[in-house]
Amino acid sequence: MQETLLKIREVSKHFGGVYAVSGVSLNIKGGGIWGLVGPNGSGKTTLFNTILGLHRPDEGDIYFNGKCINRLAPHQIYGLGLVNAFQIPRLFSRLSVLDNMLLAARGHQGDTLLNSLFLRKGWQEQEVELAGKAMEILETLELVHLALSPAGELSGGQRKLLEVGRGVMSSPTLLLLDEPAAGINPNLGKKIFQGIEDLSQEGLSFFIIEHRLEILFDFAHWVYVMDKGKIVVEGKPEEVLEDPAFFEVYLGV
Amino acid sequence: MDPLLYVLDLIVFIGIFGIVALSLNLEFGFAGLANFGKVAFFLIGAYTYALLSQIGVPFYLCLVAGGLVSAIFGLLVSLPALRLRADYLAIAVLAFGEILRLIVKSEEFAGGDWGITVSPAISLVGASHRVDALVNIGLVYFCLLICFIVVQLLANSPYGRAMRAIREDEVAAEALGKSEVKYKAQALMLGSAMAGVAGGLYAQYLQYVLPGMFMPMVTFTVWIMVLLGGPANNWGVLLGAALVQIFNRGTNILKDYFILPINPTDLQYILFGALIILVLLYRPQGLLKESRIKTKAMEGVRRARNAVKNKGSQ
Ligand SMILES: Nc1ncnc2c1ncn2[C@@H]1O[C@H](COP(=O)(O)OP(=O)(O)OP(=O)(O)O)[C@@H](O)[C@H]1O
Ligand SMILES: [Mg+2]
Repeated sequence: MQETLLKIREVSKHFGGVYAVSGVSLNIKGGGIWGLVGPNGSGKTTLFNTILGLHRPDEGDIYFNGKCINRLAPHQIYGLGLVNAFQIPRLFSRLSVLDNMLLAARGHQGDTLLNSLFLRKGWQEQEVELAGKAMEILETLELVHLALSPAGELSGGQRKLLEVGRGVMSSPTLLLLDEPAAGINPNLGKKIFQGIEDLSQEGLSFFIIEHRLEILFDFAHWVYVMDKGKIVVEGKPEEVLEDPAFFEVYLGV
Repeated sequence: MDPLLYVLDLIVFIGIFGIVALSLNLEFGFAGLANFGKVAFFLIGAYTYALLSQIGVPFYLCLVAGGLVSAIFGLLVSLPALRLRADYLAIAVLAFGEILRLIVKSEEFAGGDWGITVSPAISLVGASHRVDALVNIGLVYFCLLICFIVVQLLANSPYGRAMRAIREDEVAAEALGKSEVKYKAQALMLGSAMAGVAGGLYAQYLQYVLPGMFMPMVTFTVWIMVLLGGPANNWGVLLGAALVQIFNRGTNILKDYFILPINPTDLQYILFGALIILVLLYRPQGLLKESRIKTKAMEGVRRARNAVKNKGSQ
């Protein structure tokens, strides 16, 4: 394990009277697969959205690579290499699947007004490379035959796959995945997690929310368990499975 | 009236409004910004042109200045509004247009109700009206061509792709690194610059500016051009501009032959309203559908996929 990538200190987020996240602290170190589990409504997605700058934390601080990111806009946080795939996919429906992938590429030179007009040669070449990479990812996700179709025409499961694919496309340092295997057929779900493991071996770190514990616990090396906005248990998957508190949260016993 | 001159005049109008339609297409078609104050930026360009040409500034500088001043106003008006909700922007610019019109109507420096007389950009000694119109066509279509090339290049670039992404889902676009405020402000700035140039061309072609030329109806006419022709398709909105202008002229001619119980101009507005409802009901994507993003990479993938498909079908 390397140094701490993401450090969360006593973060709270409430909506009116509902404390969706209350006093959460955790550390994600570089290179590995970190899990986050918990019952419905326990605040997992809210925690992710707060990390990403989509919500401002009401209390606490969030550091990424040692830098406080509490007050940064989402696009700035993305620029630092902290990227997310949404639980409910948010695709650009009228754009093609491939366009959706290319939009996720970090550091595309053609993204600025002047470059897009005057530096066409540079970004055109870069984009050919990016498209090659995008097609490879789509191949793994079994979406390659749909590359040129509008994203709005995809099925529910395919949308989810594309959402995850966009996250991978951005070559982040830390990728947050909110239930990547939800609504995906079990074999493909396994395959996705195998892909995640390969990428993590190449140095990419993952923080993954997943209700399908049997898959997650096979791959994650550390798991946080959340309940009612708080982290109640953490540890290696096999330790967590032994913990009575975990059973209390999950089975209500 | 000379029928050929009538046609030439129509061509000039199509060109000028084609530029304004392209500018709204950049803002609305690509970036999803509901600019209901288009006429404000058209007005700024026209009055800047008129005021500068009065003090002897050469016409091309007047045109450029019109574009620049309009762009600055586009940015100033948009920045506070962009931080609020999208519908506030629409209301803010709509009000801005009306306020500007009332200002030039009451301010002496802008000629008030009487407006300002503008001398033609290029006056050839002893030229007929037809030749004057042809010179104007050259000037207007030169500007249109530049604007068209710019919006086409943007539409077919990662920048244009990011704009479309913001139009589709601004939260997702933000989460993928596309600063919503930056793209929207730039779209408004560039769109306003183009509308400003068109306003300058309009002023010098008509050889006067009057507050009455900049009623809110101008904005809505341009909206009809974009919605009819096809948002996010630059050829489409040019087609829309041509069709709306021809429709306008057609009904203008017809009104000389029919005796109507209502004011013919009102009838024109009613027909416009009916037209827009029909388009939105039966062809919400407009006559031409959104153009796809053509870059080297995208076309490469397209060719490869077509090759695979053809092999499969043989
Ligand atoms: N934008 C919001 N406004 C108001 N309440 C919200 C909002 N987002 C989440 N909540 C509330 O916060 C709590 C936590 O929701 P969250 O979506 O974070 O749960 P979760 O752990 O991701 O659940 P699931 O496993 O079902 O996805 C819920 O009670 C939810 O109703
Ligand atoms: Mg959730």
